[in-house]
Amino acid sequence: MGHIRILVVDDELIVRESLIGWLKKGGYDVDPASSGMEALKRLKEKEYDLIFLDIKMPDMSGIEVLKNLKESSPNSLVVMITAYGSVETAVEAMKLGASDYLMKPFEPEHLVLLVEKLLQQKKLIEENLFLKEQVSKRTKYQELIGSASCMQKLFEIIEEVASVDSPVLIRGETGTGKELIAKAIHAKSPRRFGPFVAINCGAFPESLLETELFGHEVGAFTGAIRARKGRIEIAHGGTLFLDEIGEIPLKMQVDLLRVLEEKRFQRVGGREYIPVDFRFISATHKNLEEEIRLGRFRKDFYFRLNVIEIQVPPLRERKEDISLLAQHFLQKFRRETNKPVTTISKDALNLLYSYDWPGNVRELENAIERAVVLAKSRILTKEDFSFLLRPKLLENQVDEPKSLEEVERRHIEKILNETDWNISRAAKILGLNRTTLHAKIKKYGLSHHPRTN
Amino acid sequence: MDQQTNLPSIGIVSVGKLGNLIPRVVAANIQGILDVPVSIIGEIEIPEETFILERRQYDAGLMLKILEEVSTNHFCILGVTYVDLCIPVFTYVFGEAQLGGRTAIVSTYRLQRGELGETISESVFYERVVKVALHEIGHVFSLYHCENEYCLMRFSSKLGALDSLPILFCDRCLFLLKRLIRS
Repeated sequence: MGHIRILVVDDELIVRESLIGWLKKGGYDVDPASSGMEALKRLKEKEYDLIFLDIKMPDMSGIEVLKNLKESSPNSLVVMITAYGSVETAVEAMKLGASDYLMKPFEPEHLVLLVEKLLQQKKLIEENLFLKEQVSKRTKYQELIGSASCMQKLFEIIEEVASVDSPVLIRGETGTGKELIAKAIHAKSPRRFGPFVAINCGAFPESLLETELFGHEVGAFTGAIRARKGRIEIAHGGTLFLDEIGEIPLKMQVDLLRVLEEKRFQRVGGREYIPVDFRFISATHKNLEEEIRLGRFRKDFYFRLNVIEIQVPPLRERKEDISLLAQHFLQKFRRETNKPVTTISKDALNLLYSYDWPGNVRELENAIERAVVLAKSRILTKEDFSFLLRPKLLENQVDEPKSLEEVERRHIEKILNETDWNISRAAKILGLNRTTLHAKIKKYGLSHHPRTN
Repeated sequence: MDQQTNLPSIGIVSVGKLGNLIPRVVAANIQGILDVPVSIIGEIEIPEETFILERRQYDAGLMLKILEEVSTNHFCILGVTYVDLCIPVFTYVFGEAQLGGRTAIVSTYRLQRGELGETISESVFYERVVKVALHEIGHVFSLYHCENEYCLMRFSSKLGALDSLPILFCDRCLFLLKRLIRS
């Protein structure tokens, strides 16, 4: 166990000083708190391994502090300090989750044994958490995380699919982790020692996408001063992952189909056929059947891609994973930002559950990152995620105007209110002359309702 | 600092009438083990204000504060007393010190008999007093408790544990102590 942090909460200065003095002689990092409120403030800033908590304090009783900290610092072990005659309260505290209690003044031996026992217990808890994390491969599969039954099924499918070499089409909304699934298939497949080459087809204009995929020979086009390997060639022996496959232009669909069928291709501007051997995985959030109907996607190419189809569930269909994912991202960003944010409060988790996550896991990841970066305390609360509520509230509160006239009416009214119906100023802001503004006020039937205090 | 050796000196004060022998034995052992100048300052009366009526014991923390006023010429003042000492959270202490401060105190009260109240030899008694004194001086020089079971900085709350310790610091604590003394 590393550095041990201990908090001593007692309103009596001499008790606090003598206990802290003794603990400091043990080399522990000890902080004092003279009241329940101060303790809660400190707990927001720092995580403690061990907390000595006096039961009787004037502003907030030790029991109240205990109830509070069991939510905010569930991993801290708490020892209640009682005076003679308050053993019943100490027993109540034990029921609420305190680890032990000490009746002051205590035998020195008693404190030594208790601290040793609790630190040993803390070590075991930490080891247990670590081991649980290690064996929880069912909730963490490669880089994918999920305990929901749909995710468990998905992990099984990946396992089965990985062993065969057929093309896979991954379908799912944006941000659901399609590329992670492709990576997991690659990592579990016999081709795992080969390269995993990914390309987002939607990110390139047609001409660039062609050379990016197929590579080019010298002089293939102006500026092609040296030959370059394309992604298809680089993927030889490994896996080629084409994201946003629905964005590929029709002509290139034919070229790709040929590569998939003949297992060879030509570089742009080249004559030689280059043999390639790769596993093909593609992904899309588009409805490809609809694209085929609209003539934007080739049927033969679609059938070639869609040998095995994997459907990735959106986050709103596996809300039970939100807590798991949130904790995972919290750990990730805590390490990255080096900020001591350790917990997500219950009300914050409830907010995360109630949100719809149109951007799926990626949106959740971004939300946690934003909350961690801006967090003021050790615990992420509902307020740290208030940015999730704002756009939703606005949408609900203000029904968007549909017609241009309505937009104009509302904008004029807004500016008039901002200028307190000063026609000259409002006209200047709106870029109109006063006569036109008067005409518009009349047209829209706007009237001034002065605010009264 | 001692002018001649340029090393921090330790002054020993009897708190209450204790006789000459105990301070002398303690002084000789500290000098022998820590290799620092030690002088016996003399005796002060037991400060009345340190008595805690309801516990019938003396407040060790308050004693340390009073000892600070005894001398300003010494880096560390070690008090030796025969009264029973305690601190607010503990029922008793064999000794007490300010971690990284200036004062320390040892009580002979609980060191004079065995754990079951049996009589003990004089040599065991003096060894105990010296061990507690060196332990507390270690704290004055900012040493923490040590987990080595053969080191004087190991915390002993019972006489049996105290008796099983040699009058020695472990290599690590001795190294730190010497370095702190010289700095």
